[in-house]
This record gives sequence, structure tokens and C-alpha cells, in this order.
Amino acid sequence: MSAPTLVTLQTAFHDHLLDRPSAIADDVAAGGRIDVAHRLHIYHHAYRARLLDNLRDAFEKTWAYLGDDSFDDAALDFVEANPPQHRNLRWHGADFPHWLAARFPQDPDIAELAMIDWQLRRAFDGPDAEPLAPAALAELDAAQWESVGFRFVPTLFLAPLRFNSVGIWHALDQDQPPPPADRLPDPAWLLIWRKAWQPHFRTLDRVEHAALSQLLAGASFARICASLGEHLSDQDATAQAARHLGTWLQDGLIAGLTTA
Amino acid sequence: MTRPPAPIRKASPGFGLGLRPVHYPDFLREPHALDWLEIISDNYMVPGGKPLAMLDAVLERYPVAMHGVSLSIGSTDGLDLQYLADLKKLAQRAQPLWISDHLCWTGVAGRNAHDLLPLPYSEEALRLVVRHVGQVQDALGQRILLENVSSYLEYRSSDMSEWEFLRRVAEEADCLLLLDVNNIYVSSINHGFDARAFMRHLPAERVQQIHLAGHSDHGDYIVDTHDHPVAEPVWALYREACLLFGEVATMIERDDHIPALAELIAELDRARAIAAEVLDTCEAVA
Repeated sequence: MSAPTLVTLQTAFHDHLLDRPSAIADDVAAGGRIDVAHRLHIYHHAYRARLLDNLRDAFEKTWAYLGDDSFDDAALDFVEANPPQHRNLRWHGADFPHWLAARFPQDPDIAELAMIDWQLRRAFDGPDAEPLAPAALAELDAAQWESVGFRFVPTLFLAPLRFNSVGIWHALDQDQPPPPADRLPDPAWLLIWRKAWQPHFRTLDRVEHAALSQLLAGASFARICASLGEHLSDQDATAQAARHLGTWLQDGLIAGLTTA
Repeated sequence: MTRPPAPIRKASPGFGLGLRPVHYPDFLREPHALDWLEIISDNYMVPGGKPLAMLDAVLERYPVAMHGVSLSIGSTDGLDLQYLADLKKLAQRAQPLWISDHLCWTGVAGRNAHDLLPLPYSEEALRLVVRHVGQVQDALGQRILLENVSSYLEYRSSDMSEWEFLRRVAEEADCLLLLDVNNIYVSSINHGFDARAFMRHLPAERVQQIHLAGHSDHGDYIVDTHDHPVAEPVWALYREACLLFGEVATMIERDDHIPALAELIAELDRARAIAAEVLDTCEAVA
């Protein structure tokens, strides 16, 4: 038998790791204290163990929520269906929340919790940005306030929430039994970002979400005040917009000013 | 008058440890009896946040060597140029003592196993690795170090020993070696070769760094787990390595069940003592 080319050997080895038909055993030397099948099994096992560990690490709360057996079953099925293609292992869980939504169609709260885990992880080592000092706003004159908009920190992430997964996350974080999964009575959104080195998250109501979304899309702050004024008096709209702005500044969400 | 040729390897910076996030507060709080630290390059090839901030803080205190796990120098897919560019960017930030990765492959056909898979020790693999090392060294503007991996199988298509392959890669690609003494021991048990013969065949002038680590003994075979203290047979091999290679930068890798920093520093002191004893003896003989 002639030796396989390197590409043939590597393809056969990788197919073995992925549980696909493979002739790699033909090219493994026999002898020693363990047989060829056992030698190949060590790599087959290590592949799954490493990827499972990585998912447990990235989806810590989801793991705690599902428990070891259920999480591991789901994670190992995900591994079989999604061989890593990125050079850096940190990206392997990117599709896991979506995959969990299909795996547990009756329990969409699981995928929502996994989405929180994943986005917190992304915020942790996402791009840096210096938050805007509130004093920068004090320098704006009335004309500038007419057109000013905001640039937000690059780790900012917004997504709709359907369940009490934030409450579930907090309970798990304190090693408490999580509350039963429950649909939220009113629409809410999840806001995730990083302040200094620490990822943060909180929920937004419809009004704050609408204001933030418009600003993210490039609207001016004056436009936000006008939008709020459609439902409130001018004075109340300005006061509410100013309250939100104060919170965003304090949270370190704003990275700079723009001219909208 | 002709000058003596420049040495291939750099002078040893001494004894170090792998930088692990659990020890960040220790490193920032006070100085420790460590000459240098090794980072896992891949963990810092990220956009920003705490990892890079910690790296910058550590760089003010210690010289750092960069050690990667995903170069996949032996893959028939060829080099990942984006990965190489990201590695270079990190090197520009860290200004490392040197940059290392493993003599292995980690995936093929665009798939990644995230494991350090063994190469066959064949002429074809040798040519491929030598070509890739040349590309990497051109891109980084410096010699890289390649580490021998632990392995659990050997290929029938290999036509030379692992140490001959390692020596030829180092010499033909003009790169340096990161000798993992634990990996030599693990593979010597798993494949039944003489660990001392392995070391005796390596080009001493290219051995830039030594790794020590713990393993898990399964009776019939050993797995390189980095979750135990360095084992006695590995300490014995390290003594041999000091005799063969002289003063070489040495560090302990610990990736699981990571103990308090003081415990690792105490373990490293044993490496210092062994190296000092061997070098003193050599000097006395000379």
C-alpha cells in the first residue's frame, strides 16, 4: 500500500474526529500498549471534550439553567452539527443560541438566556472606546443642541426580550433557584454594553428603546425630544429625554458627539 | 580578523510562568520572583477589553513571550493570512521575547479541530512545514520557535523519527525550538521510544525555550493535561536537558486546576535549582 498524501491523511483524520467514514486507521501504526482504535479514540474524545468545555464556559448560565445532562446533550449535538470553522475557538458558540431555539421549540426562554450569555461574552473583549465626559455637553450652545447626535460605544447590543430571562440570569448568578419562565406582559428590550472592563446589561421599556434606536440610526437628540413630544407635553418630553441622556452618560454608553 | 558568527538563539532571560487570568491580581499587586511570562497569543488576539488591558499592565512589569495554538503550520490548507496579520499586530503591541507555536496541524478543508494534531514525519510534511515557517518568519520579521507536541498515535507513512523531523525542520527552515520536556516524556511512554535519545539528537544551538508541565497517567498511556504538578520522571529529563542544552529559558505551563501563584513559583524554584546545579557541575568540570 502506498502512503497517502498529506492532504488525504489530514482529511481522513479530521473525518474520524467528525464521526464520518474514514480510512485513517489504515495509516496508524500498530503496536505498543494500546491498540489503534484506542489511540484514535483519544483524539475523538478530546475533540468533543474541548468543544464542550468551551461551550460550558461561554454559556455558563445556560449550563446552570439546563443542568449538566441536558446542557451536555444539547452542546454535543451542536458540536456534531457545527464543526468549528474559525481559527479562534472563542467564536464557536456564535450560533448556539439560535440552535437552542430550534432544539427547544417549547422553551424559547432557553435560547433567550443563551443569547444573554453570548452577548455578555462578546462585550467582555469587544472593541474599546472612551466614554464621553458629561462636561462635553455643557459646552454645546443652543444651535448645536438643534443638530447634535451621539456615537455609542461599539460593544452596545440591543435585542427584543420575550421572557423573564434577565430575572432568571440574576437568580442563577446568585446560585438561587430560577423563577419559572414567564412571557413578559409588555414589550421589553435587552441592552448590553461594557463599562470599563465589566460587561453590563439592563432592560429597556418601549420609550427608551425607541429613543436609543433612533439615535443609533443617526437621529439628532432634538429629533428624539420631538418624538417624545408626540405623546407628552414639550416640557415633559424634554425632561424625559434629559433623564435618559443622563443615564446613558452615567452608564458610559456614549462615546462621542455627531452632527446629525 | 573575522567575527564569530552571531549565536542563533538569544541569551536566556531566565525562569518564567504562563500568564493565566486567575493570577492577574497577583501580578498587578506586587513583584514576583519571575524573570518573564508567557502568554497564549490567541487569548489576546481580541478587539479589546480586559485581556488587552491586563496585557498592557503586565508588559510594564515583565518581558513576555508569545505562545500560540492556532498557527497550524503543518496544515495542507496553507497559512491563514488573517491569523498571521493578527499575530503580527499583537507582536507589535507586546514586543515579545519571541513568538512560538506548535509543530502540528489543527484542521483541514476549512474545519478546525482546535487540537494539536500530529504530523506524519515524512519528506512531504517536512517540505510543507519548512515552506510555511519561511512565510511566517518573513511576515513576522523574526525566527519563530516550534514546539514538539505530545501525541497518542504514530503514522505508518512516517519515514523518519520525530526527533529527526524536528531537527530537520529547525535547520532547514532556520527556526528555533521550544522543547516541551513533558511532551517528550508523554510521547516516549505512548510510543515506547527513548526520551533521552530524542533530546540528544536535537540541535542545542536552536533550543530557545523549555516547557515543563504535568500530565495524567492512565496506566497504559499518558495524556498531556497540564493539570498536575510536574512529574518526577519529567524533572529527571529536565536535568538531562540542562546538561545537553545549557542555560535555556524555562517555564511551567498550568492550564487546569491552577493553584495559587506562590505554589507555581515554588515549583519553578525547583527548575531553577536543577539548572543551577547542573550548570555549576559543568563549570566545575570545565
